[in-house]
Amino acid sequence: MGNLPLSRYQALFISGLLLLFLSLASPWWLKLNGVSPSWVVLWLLPWAVVEGPLAGALAGFGIGVLLDSLQGSGLTAVPVLVLLGLWWGQFVSSRRPLERSTTLGLLALLGSLLLNGSYALQLYWRGQSAFAAWQLSLAQALFTALLAPMICSLLVLFWRRRSLRHGR
Amino acid sequence: MALGRRLRRLLDLRSLLVHWPWLVLLLALGLVRLSKGAAVVDLYALLSRPFWPGTAQSEWLRQAQHLEDQQKISLLQGQLNQLKADSALREQQGDWLTAAVISRRTEGWWQQLELGAGSLEGLHYGAVVTGPGGVLGRIASVTPSTARVTLLTDPSSRVGVTLKGSRGQGLLVGEGTSRPRLRFLDKDVEVQPGDVVLTSAASSLYPANLIVGVVQTVNSQALPAPDALVQLAAPVDAIDWVRVLR
Repeated sequence: MGNLPLSRYQALFISGLLLLFLSLASPWWLKLNGVSPSWVVLWLLPWAVVEGPLAGALAGFGIGVLLDSLQGSGLTAVPVLVLLGLWWGQFVSSRRPLERSTTLGLLALLGSLLLNGSYALQLYWRGQSAFAAWQLSLAQALFTALLAPMICSLLVLFWRRRSLRHGR
Repeated sequence: MALGRRLRRLLDLRSLLVHWPWLVLLLALGLVRLSKGAAVVDLYALLSRPFWPGTAQSEWLRQAQHLEDQQKISLLQGQLNQLKADSALREQQGDWLTAAVISRRTEGWWQQLELGAGSLEGLHYGAVVTGPGGVLGRIASVTPSTARVTLLTDPSSRVGVTLKGSRGQGLLVGEGTSRPRLRFLDKDVEVQPGDVVLTSAASSLYPANLIVGVVQTVNSQALPAPDALVQLAAPVDAIDWVRVLR
């Protein structure tokens, strides 16, 4: 086995950058009827599950700040992403094993709903209404949950391999 | 054997000779079906000719048509003059810059565009962005080479607008859908679907009399004042180039 070309932090950084570009471009061929999955959930979940609560929370904080900078209307995703990182990090221990890949789907579903719920709450506090976005949030949660078993389980393998190679 | 006997009976020449009228009828029905009932309709026209509407009515219809055409022409003439005046006004108002849309997020909790031109090209915070058809929104932030546009449909967008002919003042409020809501300020306002919505002269954020969109549906039961859904004139999802007022 040769050296892996990237360390896990390099891989994290590059994939995070790709995630930002993806959320900017939001290409039509990655959407289902105008709805795109919550890419940030699909990105954060496998990392946190492999690396643990602290790394998950830090990654959630970092990507949250970057996403906020791209979203001009002053809403923030940081608190909820940090909490999601902490929560998903709990699954690193063998006491709470990820039994099946459907668990990943369920976690992604809840993560996507919580993320959109936090946006809704902030808009509600600001006295603005975006009622139609709820419908889209539900569609997005379902789409994310559908993709999670496929994408996240591959990414879990990816991060696990890197994590073992470089030692924790 | 039995099958052969049955077949022979079916194709018996004698029985064919006996039943030939039925075969002709079948053929005729098929032809009528193929010709989409041409024979039937022609026959109906022939039979009903004595009962057709008289010439007096057709003359009356023709006159009404003529009158309608005249009205349409004068209406269009008026609109053309108005449009000419509007466009002349807009051309005078300032220096427009054309910019490409490099990112479009028009779903979910925010509605924004990124433009491929920024402060180096002279764009600044608050500049008005229009597309073919009408106003899209305002620039919310600029970098040296990009600018972020908050669309009229964004939940944070509030714009003072007026109906064409200054018949009603209102506030256009984004709701995260493709159609913002027009909340009228007056209780008794004459509005109906199809009315053109313009930026208000009272608005300090936008130049006056830019076309925003068209009233789609009216809810006159809303409290405290009626409101309406507005279809934007500029199709956000299809626009690749926009114009920005420098």
